[in-house]
Amino acid sequence: MRASRAITTLHAAVLAAVVPALALAAAPAAAPSPQAAIAARQAGFKKMGAAMKALNDQLKSGAPAKDVMENAARTVALTAREQAKLFPAGSGASAGVKTDALPNIWTDRATFDALMGRLATESGKLQAVTGGGDAAAIGAQAKATGAACGACHRQFRADS
Amino acid sequence: MPAERPATGTIVARIWDAPVRLFHWLLVGLLAFSWWSGEHHDMDWHRRSGYAMLTLLIFRIYWGFFGGRTARFAQFVRGPRAAFAYALALAKGRHTATPGHNPIGGWSVIAMLVTLAAMVSAGLFSVDVDGLESGPLADYVSFDQGRVAAAIHHLVFNLLLGLVALHVLAVLFYLVRLRHDLITPMIHGRRRAREDEPVEELAASGWKAVLGIVIAGAGAYVIARGFRF
Repeated sequence: MRASRAITTLHAAVLAAVVPALALAAAPAAAPSPQAAIAARQAGFKKMGAAMKALNDQLKSGAPAKDVMENAARTVALTAREQAKLFPAGSGASAGVKTDALPNIWTDRATFDALMGRLATESGKLQAVTGGGDAAAIGAQAKATGAACGACHRQFRADS
Repeated sequence: MPAERPATGTIVARIWDAPVRLFHWLLVGLLAFSWWSGEHHDMDWHRRSGYAMLTLLIFRIYWGFFGGRTARFAQFVRGPRAAFAYALALAKGRHTATPGHNPIGGWSVIAMLVTLAAMVSAGLFSVDVDGLESGPLADYVSFDQGRVAAAIHHLVFNLLLGLVALHVLAVLFYLVRLRHDLITPMIHGRRRAREDEPVEELAASGWKAVLGIVIAGAGAYVIARGFRF
């Protein structure tokens, strides 16, 4: 029962991550339009924020539910890997859509990509550690993942 | 022999009790520290500062009912007619000192307290953009609601800054234009009054102050724990 439910939720998470990407792939142009990329990455970041909150809420509760944390960590890890692809050239302020993405993402792309890589690494570790169920270790890794978010936001996101 | 005019009879009147003065200056410090820690993303200290402010706020509301004479809402919250009459007299250059908050100052205090309460309340439910840092009650709301709370928290802080600026300008106006010092009485609690000026006793009770501190501390502690025990 537990295993099948875990697989279903895994499928749901994978679908949630893949469907927007497929929708983008199916768009007329080969690359997503800047506006579509902005909408997709904003939805992705919101999903990650909500998942991080869900995980931290569990840690704060004193009696964390392991499956909730595992789901949340999986969402963060899977979404993180998609986000890096959603910053095509021209999807900054010039796209005419409200975005907090700063122009130095595209002028200092190497740093940006490195920080995106750091997010993928830390969120991958978070996913692994939630499987173990050690609340202290999960808490520490959630902080490390949050630090990866913050490090990038300080340099590349307005209004942080 | 009217050669020497006798000095006008002045007395020293106590107008602010110690809890009111402590509340005022601690709030000034905490507001500055909260701003600083928030700007530097030091959220552990930002939260602690917020809890301290919450304690002050609960105490001040309690003290508005059980405090010294000039601390009580019933004494200083006046109707619009009194406020208007006071403003009119001020505009005509007739200023008489009030033994406590004047009718306009009273409303300024209420506006600042309400704004502060709104800011602290929104902070309790706030979530940062990463879903990492949050107020103690944020797990009772969704991520999106927590983000709205954070936006309100930020907006209301700016509103409060505006009110504080207005407050400081008013104090400077009294000091420069009316030659009436409001600052040092808020430090030591006393000011000179004419002998015939009716300034009643403050009658602030020590044990009521202690009780208020206990209530405020316990209330803030329970909220800071998110009602989880």
